[in-house]
Amino acid sequence: MRKALLYTAILFCLISVLTAADTDLTFSGDESDGSRAVPVHLIPLIDEEGEKITPADELLLPFSMRQSCAACHDYEKISRGWHFNAAEPNVAPGRQGQPWIFVDAGTATQIPLSHRTWPGTFRPEQLGLTSWKFVQVFGRQMAGGGVGELDSDIPDEVVRGFVSGKLEINCMACHDADPAHNQAEYADQIARQNFRWAAAATCSFASVSGKAVNIPSNYDPLMPQPLNDPKLVPPTITYHKNAFDHKNQVFFDIVRKVPAERCYFCHSNHDIGKSGLGKWATDEDVHLAAGLTCVDCHRNGLDHNITRGYEGEASVSKNPLAAISSCENCHKEGRLGAPVPEHSGIPPAHFDKLTCTACHSGSWPDQKTLRTKTSRAHALGTYNVNKSDDVLPHIIYPVFAKQLDGKIGPHKLFWPAFWGSLKGQEVAPIDLETVRPIAGKIINDKELPPSGDWPSLTGEQIGKVLELLETTEGEPVYVCGGKLYHLDDKGRLIATEHNAAKPYLWPIAHDVRPAAQSLGARRCEECHSTDASFFFAEVEVDTPIASEQGSVKKMIEFQELRPVYMKLFAFSFVFRPFLKVVAFCSSAVLAAVLLLYALKALACVIRILTEGD
Amino acid sequence: MFYTISIIGFVVTFLGIGICCMVFPCCRKCQWSPLAILRRAVRILTMLPLERKLSPVGALRKLVYLLALLCFLILAITGFYPVLVLREPIYGYWLILHATFAPVFAICLASLAVMWAGNCCFNKGDWLWLQRVLGRESVNKADVKKSCPEQSRGNELLRKICFWLIMLLALPAILSIVLSMFPLFGTHGQEFLLQLHRYSALLLALSVIVHTYLTIRTQMEQ
Repeated sequence: MRKALLYTAILFCLISVLTAADTDLTFSGDESDGSRAVPVHLIPLIDEEGEKITPADELLLPFSMRQSCAACHDYEKISRGWHFNAAEPNVAPGRQGQPWIFVDAGTATQIPLSHRTWPGTFRPEQLGLTSWKFVQVFGRQMAGGGVGELDSDIPDEVVRGFVSGKLEINCMACHDADPAHNQAEYADQIARQNFRWAAAATCSFASVSGKAVNIPSNYDPLMPQPLNDPKLVPPTITYHKNAFDHKNQVFFDIVRKVPAERCYFCHSNHDIGKSGLGKWATDEDVHLAAGLTCVDCHRNGLDHNITRGYEGEASVSKNPLAAISSCENCHKEGRLGAPVPEHSGIPPAHFDKLTCTACHSGSWPDQKTLRTKTSRAHALGTYNVNKSDDVLPHIIYPVFAKQLDGKIGPHKLFWPAFWGSLKGQEVAPIDLETVRPIAGKIINDKELPPSGDWPSLTGEQIGKVLELLETTEGEPVYVCGGKLYHLDDKGRLIATEHNAAKPYLWPIAHDVRPAAQSLGARRCEECHSTDASFFFAEVEVDTPIASEQGSVKKMIEFQELRPVYMKLFAFSFVFRPFLKVVAFCSSAVLAAVLLLYALKALACVIRILTEGD
Repeated sequence: MFYTISIIGFVVTFLGIGICCMVFPCCRKCQWSPLAILRRAVRILTMLPLERKLSPVGALRKLVYLLALLCFLILAITGFYPVLVLREPIYGYWLILHATFAPVFAICLASLAVMWAGNCCFNKGDWLWLQRVLGRESVNKADVKKSCPEQSRGNELLRKICFWLIMLLALPAILSIVLSMFPLFGTHGQEFLLQLHRYSALLLALSVIVHTYLTIRTQMEQ
């Protein structure tokens, strides 16, 4: 008994020591010696099996980021960073951001999806998108890891996952400074289901051919057998011979400070129809023009918990820099040469009611909102992307709306359109597999526009789909253009207002305009006039229903302000010059009277003093 | 801070007026029955219309004064009610009303300055009375009586002081808010101007209240 206890104690101590050793494990690449020089990354390539890759290998596998980088860097820690942790339930979602927008023109669907619990978004599973399918659709502009490395419970996907591999974190997507780095190749590999090969394919020293998408599920990429069908080409990688040195090491042009060009692949915007000119005619963000890069403000440590840079981020972020990475913090202290704003003539009340971005960010508001494209919504920068201005999703911008913190700021907006089931007051999207055979058939009777725009939908078609849709629970509904459509007892199509039909908005911060080009820098009337775009611009209500197209809402409806009051207040600015003249004249008269009688009093005092003598 | 100071200011002023009413009643046989209070209220209200005996200039003076009082009332309500009662900055319709009546009030004050300044000059009688109050016994009592009617004395002097205070405080109150409309001052400057406007407006309001009380009292005593 005593011996048993002794052995147990020894075992416990051993486990404790080992666990402690594991916790304290530091990676050579993660511990800085203080040098600002960039370490040269001449490293061996390791495949996902942990084997070193050499050009002489019979079977060449793509190098694995998890294996190759993890020799010096804590992959697990990095994988909890903001770009990879969306699917982790314990991560605070923070301020609403751009969701993944699932678009299916055939079923007249554009719906915001996110693994983060942002209000207004739906979880991909609700639409029938498993992690595997989600990566197939959106992996093109994901940084890998997170959802890309989740194990599926569905047997088919497990098997397919073996063929395609997992979508590991693609460190090169951000840190590769090689000008020949091709991130579009990554998107292409995702479309081919070559998840295992995707990161390697972006590097200048490797090229990938073949595709896993139509390879039989019993194909083993680690022990490949020739396929009977000559049309089926399994994914294969070729490393350029001169990539390896005499020790079979490969040079990676890795930089700690990520160049803005790397960020652009997933974070670009393209405003449609603003000037009619191309990208070359657009001014870039003033910070970039001043010589800063994205990561000068959006910083992170080894944990890759990058700062998003909004006010109040510190309450949800563990990044110590979150508290000092907002506009206000840099510009109050003049960090990195940030000009300290004077805001001459701007009443301080503005700073309580508006975000900095309201006046300084985004494109100048016009009488009607624009449409814009974003990398992640429109797959910008990928091969063969639809460049039409009308392609879905239709993102509307700039919309000055009230944020959750009560301040008004510029937002991007889109109107969700999807088939759902209404249960109580909740609307949940119906699985695509259920919708497609019914809605797809009825809507596809007419050809879908090649521009990628909405199919021209009629109330009759919606009614037909709703009649045919069977939901296990709840009433079938269609949400679009800010309304919820359902059939009444007599089978008539009824449109009602509903929370689920409200647009999804997310705040924007870029591009930042210089102070001289900010709203209100020249005249108060830029915002305070009866037709000022800031309050009274028309916001497009986007809908696939032909008869409803062209409808608009006023900007002020998104600001929770009283339109009559704002009109009156704006109208009062007409009389402001008069007010100034009156005030100055009155002051002049008052001052003159005071001065006159003060002089009289002085004369009296002098007289009395003289008489006294 | 402003909230506390304002509350204290208003409470002290109204308390002072109340105490003054009780210690120095304007009529010795004052009754506090509802009918008597109503009668007094009617009497005060009847002071508002322009009497026929007034000359055109006198009528204008009174008209301007009454208009200034009306504007003051609106400005005081729209300016202090949101801050002191609702505990929020002036915003919405309060602000529109405030900004609408402010220039009218400014014009009225300028007009009153021109029309009343002559009458509100301090004279020898005020000086002698003040010296007597301050205990300068060497002053000849007969001189005081001669130069200053029995009814006014202190009230009159206080009214004059209030008048000049109002004129003096009106300047920062007006200029602080008008200057903030020009791109001359940054955020700190704007905040300073706003505080200046608030405090000068508070003192102005208290002065107007005391001045109005004294005016009514004088009228009733006459």
